[in-house]
Amino acid sequence: MSLFSLSRKMKKLKLQKKNAQQQNDQLSKAIHSSLQDQINYIKEKTGNSIDIVIRKLQLKDGKGPDVAVVFVEGISDSKAINDFLIESIINKSTVPSSRPIFEILFEKVVALGDVKEITDWDNLYLSLMSGESIILVDGAQKALSASTRGGEQRSIEEPGSQVTVRGPRDGFTENIRTNTSLIRKRIQNPNLWLENMKIGSVTKTDVSIMYIKGIAKDEIVEEVRNRLKRIEIDSILESGYIEQLIEDQAFTTFPTLYHTERPDMVAGNLLEGRVAIIVNGTPFVLIAPAVFIQFFQSVEDYYGRADIATALRFLRILIFFISIIAPAAYIAVTTFHQEMIPTQLLVAIAAQREAVPFPALVEALIMEVAFEILREAGIRMPRAVGSAISIVGALVIGQAAVQAGIVSPAMVIVVAITAIANFATPAFAVAISARLIRFGFMFAAATFGFYGIILGIIILAIHLCSLRSFGVPYLTPMAPLILANMGDTIIRLPLWAQKKRPALISSDNSNRVGDHQKPSPPEGRGMVNSVLEKGDQDEN
Amino acid sequence: MKIKKFLFFLVILGNILLLSGCWSKKELTDLAIVAALGIDKNEEGRYVGTMQIINPGNVAGGLQGGGGSQGPPVSVITGTGDSIVELSRRASRKLSRRLYYAHTNLVVIGEDLAKEESISTILDPLERDAQFRSTAIIVIAQGSKASDIVKVLTAIDKIPSNKIIKTLKFTEKTWGENITVNMQDAVKMLVSPGKELAVSGFRLSGDVDKGKKMENTQETEPSSSLYAGSLAIFKNGKLTGWIDGETARGSVILLDKLNASAFGVKWEGKDEAIIYELIRQKTNVMVKMEKGKPRVSIEVQAEGNIGEASVSTDLNNPDVLLKIEKEIEKKIKKEITMALKQAKKNKSDIFGFGDALHRSNPEAWKKMKSEWNDVYFPEAKADIVVDAFIRRTGLRNIPHQVNK
Amino acid sequence: MEKAKISLYQLFVLIMLFELGSAILVPLASDAKQDAWMAILVGMFGGLFLFWINYRLFLYYPELTPPEYMQKLLGKILGTFLAFCYIILFMYSAARVLRDFGEMLLTFAYLETPLFIVNALLMLVIIYAIRKGIEVVARTGELFFFFIYFLAITGFILILFSGLIDMNNLKPILEQGISPIARVVLTQSLYFPFGEAIVFSMIFPYLTNKKKGKKIGLFAIGLSGINLAITMAINIGVLGVDLTARSQFPLLSTIQSIQVAEFLERLDVFFMISTVICIYFKVSIYFYAAVASTAVIFKIKEPSKLTYPMGMVILFMSVTIASSYAEHLKEGLKFITTYLHPFFLMVIPLLLLGIAFLKNRKGGPGGGF
Repeated sequence: MSLFSLSRKMKKLKLQKKNAQQQNDQLSKAIHSSLQDQINYIKEKTGNSIDIVIRKLQLKDGKGPDVAVVFVEGISDSKAINDFLIESIINKSTVPSSRPIFEILFEKVVALGDVKEITDWDNLYLSLMSGESIILVDGAQKALSASTRGGEQRSIEEPGSQVTVRGPRDGFTENIRTNTSLIRKRIQNPNLWLENMKIGSVTKTDVSIMYIKGIAKDEIVEEVRNRLKRIEIDSILESGYIEQLIEDQAFTTFPTLYHTERPDMVAGNLLEGRVAIIVNGTPFVLIAPAVFIQFFQSVEDYYGRADIATALRFLRILIFFISIIAPAAYIAVTTFHQEMIPTQLLVAIAAQREAVPFPALVEALIMEVAFEILREAGIRMPRAVGSAISIVGALVIGQAAVQAGIVSPAMVIVVAITAIANFATPAFAVAISARLIRFGFMFAAATFGFYGIILGIIILAIHLCSLRSFGVPYLTPMAPLILANMGDTIIRLPLWAQKKRPALISSDNSNRVGDHQKPSPPEGRGMVNSVLEKGDQDEN
Repeated sequence: MKIKKFLFFLVILGNILLLSGCWSKKELTDLAIVAALGIDKNEEGRYVGTMQIINPGNVAGGLQGGGGSQGPPVSVITGTGDSIVELSRRASRKLSRRLYYAHTNLVVIGEDLAKEESISTILDPLERDAQFRSTAIIVIAQGSKASDIVKVLTAIDKIPSNKIIKTLKFTEKTWGENITVNMQDAVKMLVSPGKELAVSGFRLSGDVDKGKKMENTQETEPSSSLYAGSLAIFKNGKLTGWIDGETARGSVILLDKLNASAFGVKWEGKDEAIIYELIRQKTNVMVKMEKGKPRVSIEVQAEGNIGEASVSTDLNNPDVLLKIEKEIEKKIKKEITMALKQAKKNKSDIFGFGDALHRSNPEAWKKMKSEWNDVYFPEAKADIVVDAFIRRTGLRNIPHQVNK
Repeated sequence: MEKAKISLYQLFVLIMLFELGSAILVPLASDAKQDAWMAILVGMFGGLFLFWINYRLFLYYPELTPPEYMQKLLGKILGTFLAFCYIILFMYSAARVLRDFGEMLLTFAYLETPLFIVNALLMLVIIYAIRKGIEVVARTGELFFFFIYFLAITGFILILFSGLIDMNNLKPILEQGISPIARVVLTQSLYFPFGEAIVFSMIFPYLTNKKKGKKIGLFAIGLSGINLAITMAINIGVLGVDLTARSQFPLLSTIQSIQVAEFLERLDVFFMISTVICIYFKVSIYFYAAVASTAVIFKIKEPSKLTYPMGMVILFMSVTIASSYAEHLKEGLKFITTYLHPFFLMVIPLLLLGIAFLKNRKGGPGGGF
């Protein structure tokens, strides 16, 4: 039965597809010649939407065919349309009879940078809907499109995620052009290549891939290109759509593409040979291929001192483990391995647990779930109510639950540490997967103690080792070990010691710093000595 | 297809996890944490075990509920049986929780029991058990039953077993008449033919029945209290005698376990006029065969400061210090000789001379092994060389003199 | 054969983890009393020789797995039969190691849990790993190797600082001459664990650098031998000869004796963690060798399909091979190492090497007559 209905559905789908195709054929047919027909057709096609402005004009001297300017209000730059299009058509255009009006408009009248000729409806709608202005001429079976993209957009602000103390303050916006410009400004090199494509059968979203020719590996660029081309979907509303459609492995909680709001981060990654995928309409730019350790790095690591960055990276790895296994370890210790903690501590914990009616697992689950609810509420609530949540949370979870004897204070400490550790993970994508995995570990710990936990860790390791991002093993350069690239993993060597680009990611052109870049004081002491001598003489 | 397999795997794993149902799981609230185990023998010849169980709520004071410290920090239950395992299991009839031995840091053995039979019968189940830690410390209840030692409440350290362990540790570190011996050490010494067991004893002053009550801990001077006793010497696993005072300290020196101590020496005719605070000590024991007889050479090196000088002496003068050093060496040598004499009298080689011989001369040892304690050890001659050094004299050099 | 590449470092890591696997658990070479460490070292040198034999044999046929070159050397039927014997040996060894591990866990931490469950959980994880391929196993090896070494070094430092080691326990050296050591080497430490490295012939064809593989392999065996010898010496130094020999798991007892700074004590769990990891690798490698050989002999295109049935066989074998731990040990230390191992780990490889040498002297490499 179900099979039958499925096949019927399939048939229906096929039919729909056919219809759509027919429509497409209709669309892509040539433009009508009469201006009135053209205008009528546009009106019909767009359902007379009121934001589509159709302005009929006459040329300056009143001779010649009628002209119409069509644009979508709001996504086009009305000032440019007024000043350089309508104004110049009305005031500047004269018609010498020798040449068709169309060419005159193209060459002399339209005072805008990017003007294209369009011959079919399909392209006409594409440019119209992306904010360009269409100039229709009576009698011509083609149209002009002038680039007047614009309209309201957010200005460049400091990114909300990935905040740094030191580093540039600009972040991506929703506009793809602004975003590419932010990257171009940082890498002023003709080898920074940009490819554009439109993805989404309905939304026709602009998606660009950006890479540095000669540094990025050609195979990886090709792979990215192919995977993007393969996408068949109605809409791309955020780069997350793309991410889900081009991942190497779907069944994992770990992100295999990196996303960021920071242009400096994208520039840095491009210079390592990675490929950026920029999607119109979102400030989040995807970077591929991504490796696990990237999610524990912050751009600031590279701006600050190497030793401190190394210490911080160790801390972040520790944080990751804490956020995964802290509650599980607590459960394991209190239900299986009481022998492993010092007597005094055991007695202290036992005293707290004395009043709690639940087994440790339930206790931990109550607290963890309560905390997750609080956190979710904190994110979704309007900012004004946020403080109320924290009060309720602190009171209910922090104190009342303990006093009511539902959970023990030690459990509260464990949950708090876990939560803070989770917040401190630099990449949200990994932090959120740690949140989920944690529950698995808690169950494992509740059934088999540390044996369960260690088995969980082994499974996690196998899983991570089997992941790939665009063919690059997820745990490079730790497993497989690439010594030359270990300088930028958990440890960060000073920039002058990081000589190579990531081996599996960048092309053969992998040297990044010259020899003898290690800074040192001047060899002679002349400068210092002369000052000191002068000082001595002054004293005399 | 892939999803199906994944789900299958998940279902199997989930079933195993859930159905298997946590066999080895033990919730904290179901455990009776045994802090100390005392073992005696009753008149019928059965073992009596006394378990000191921690009452967590009454130890970790000031927690929720506030008035938790009303009751005693520990409760004691006893069990009787023909074997240690039996007595422990039988004791569960008197207890609402499961006895948990992983935190048993103290084992007290009754003096009578230790004299009557080899303590290795007691140590076997403890050593074999997975919960029991081999680092648990062993003491002998000197002059009382093990159960009495376990039952008495103590004031500063709320858990009595902690008090006993810490007392032993600190007295070992500062005075040096006692040693802490854990189960593993004890078993090693029992097993070795070339070394006999020596264990510290613990004494009870006052009345047990008073010591059991909370009032005992509410006095500034508890009417019954526990203190470190003498050193018990074993032979073939049985208690053969006690040594204490300077003899005990001599033994500790010979065992190379002395950390710090204080020696008083006679100076300018006054006894104990100068006190030598020993801070570091090293003993080397070598046993060699000489004319078919073992000869022990003992080298002791001691370092320390002057802690007290009650007679006027010029402590600035290195020559004077040298003379004092000679006195100290004499004193240490005397203590060692006393210890040796006592051990020989007991025919028990607690110092491990046999092991030393085994290392230096395996063939000779093979012959003497069986009769070492009874024949060869008591006859062994010992050369004792003591080197004592005075490093510093404290914040003052010459002692002050009244009305000078 | 799957399309995998194993780097030299990965080979090194796998050999190290494999050798340490279960050997670090049991009282290895304890019959040699205080000279156990010496017996291990001597066994290690023998192990180096055995490894050399296997590698030399592999170099004659650098593209082939052992079952394939066995068939080439001995003819189709005899070669297949021999390869089949090795599969059984690998599976049996995997089951033995799994049993060792399960017994360890049951004896000291999970007394009430059935052996089957404990083994089954680990086996499921191993099956999962093998399904992902040998490359993934090697990569997890790289990850955990750091971790294990970190734990080992920390443990070593802790033991050193807690002042437990009494070097006197290691004396007198060579009390009964060389004969006890020789006996232990020939009946035990040569094969277990060093001779067992024969499983790696299944992995050699994947090596990225086949020339250097020998050096790395020998180095790994040497280093693991030294590590084992140090471990055993520490065990004896801490526990004494008698207690080491009487302990089911001497290293556990050693670690349990650590008491540093009042809170660095009761470290058994770390022992358990590192054991689980080591055993996981040892069983994985045995299991992988068995699966891959089977796939080669029976020409199975997807070896991953074999993992569930063969894994279940190993699992059930691990539970049923012995009724008690004593019986299990007796089988392992007396029967296996005196009858099975010398034959399969020494005699046959030597024989094969001889045949390969003769064949290749007359014909071209791999050409036969």
